[in-house]
Amino acid sequence: MSLLCNRDNKAFAYLYDNYASALYSIIVQVVNDAELANDVLQEVFVNIWRRIEQYDMGKGRLFTWMMNIARNASIDTLRSKSYQNSRKNQSIQENVDTIQVTDIIQPGIDTIGLRKVLEKLKEEQRILIELAYFKGYTHEEIAELEKIPLGTVKTRIRNALIQLREILK
Amino acid sequence: MNIQEYISSGIVESYVLGLADEAERVEFEQMCTLHAEVRTARDTFELSLEQHAMAAAVAPPVQLRETILQKFTVETASAIHENAPVVQMRPIRRSAVPMATRYVAAAAVVLLVGSAGLNFYYFNKYRDYSQRYDQLLAQQTELAKNNSAMQTRMSNYEQTIAGLTSPYMAKITMEGKGVPANGSPAPGSMATILWDTRSKDVYLMVNNLPLPQTGKQYQLWAIVDNLPVDAGMLDMSHGQMMVKMKNIPRAQLFAITLEQQGGSATPKGPMYVLGKV
Repeated sequence: MSLLCNRDNKAFAYLYDNYASALYSIIVQVVNDAELANDVLQEVFVNIWRRIEQYDMGKGRLFTWMMNIARNASIDTLRSKSYQNSRKNQSIQENVDTIQVTDIIQPGIDTIGLRKVLEKLKEEQRILIELAYFKGYTHEEIAELEKIPLGTVKTRIRNALIQLREILK
Repeated sequence: MNIQEYISSGIVESYVLGLADEAERVEFEQMCTLHAEVRTARDTFELSLEQHAMAAAVAPPVQLRETILQKFTVETASAIHENAPVVQMRPIRRSAVPMATRYVAAAAVVLLVGSAGLNFYYFNKYRDYSQRYDQLLAQQTELAKNNSAMQTRMSNYEQTIAGLTSPYMAKITMEGKGVPANGSPAPGSMATILWDTRSKDVYLMVNNLPLPQTGKQYQLWAIVDNLPVDAGMLDMSHGQMMVKMKNIPRAQLFAITLEQQGGSATPKGPMYVLGKV
């Protein structure tokens, strides 16, 4: 850790060699675009490099910290991209509420990582995890989007996560 | 709430995956410090998530490794650059004083200069008037002195006239011609005695006597039974006015001689005028 904090290039090379693939997998699952994923992976490692002092060992593993950076960077990229797209094509904006989550997921993507695990969940749980984890929507946004009460959203997500843990064991 | 219930509520997964909201995060971090079980549950889920992610890893393009590691080198260089002591050339800072204050300051300076100018002007005027005042004061003092001198002379003349016109005053004329033997050094000399017949006071009026040399003074004598009696010293500044001399009860002759300053007990100098009673 101290090597990382000192911005030791060899330490970061080690970090890249060990974790880049796992993080890249998460990025691809969110952005669903290989070209975009390359940019996001660069951004993620630059963020790790810059913010390494902010990592608190007491709050969790280094990989969890990096994974969340990867997920947040991916969602941010996706949002700025979809914002640009929506400006180009107004009709997408209008249809946003009716888009089916299953329509967005390209074939092939759902065979890797957590998405593969999500296959084992019930449809209603899968959609909520998809929106919350991969799209970064808040519980309130999901409740509005799916027209389900907020309490139900919370309960379903919690139940889905408990099952997820069992599957990952 | 039971710790086991808390752990199995899904909060652990929610927290680790970054789906917990702010309040839930704060609560969970507190629970982690308080309860080892919560911490263990978190570690367990994190580890299984990590292992799963590692297993599901997708290798990024090979060339990306070089690009990213290259970025670190560039960032390090720029970081070093940032740490280097950079001497920034600062522009000469104008004072942050607002314009209004500057105008006030400028006005104050102008007023100060103006005030100094006026001070100088009025000081010169004051000096001028002060000089003129001193001159006037001197003139006034001179006039007052003259006035008082005039009044003195005036009252002397009044006395003289009163003496001349008084029926009780005996008038004795002393002349240079009257001087016997060698005669007077100035034969045209003349003086008049006014002798009060009641009080026996003697007054003298100089009609014509040459000015004495310095150190010399005229002295009036009364000749009583052929003996000269001092009747007083003459002060030439009184002019032709009547000047009170000594009291002489009895005399046959009056004479004036020129003596040493301050006078003599018996006449030693030359006689100028003589007159009979």
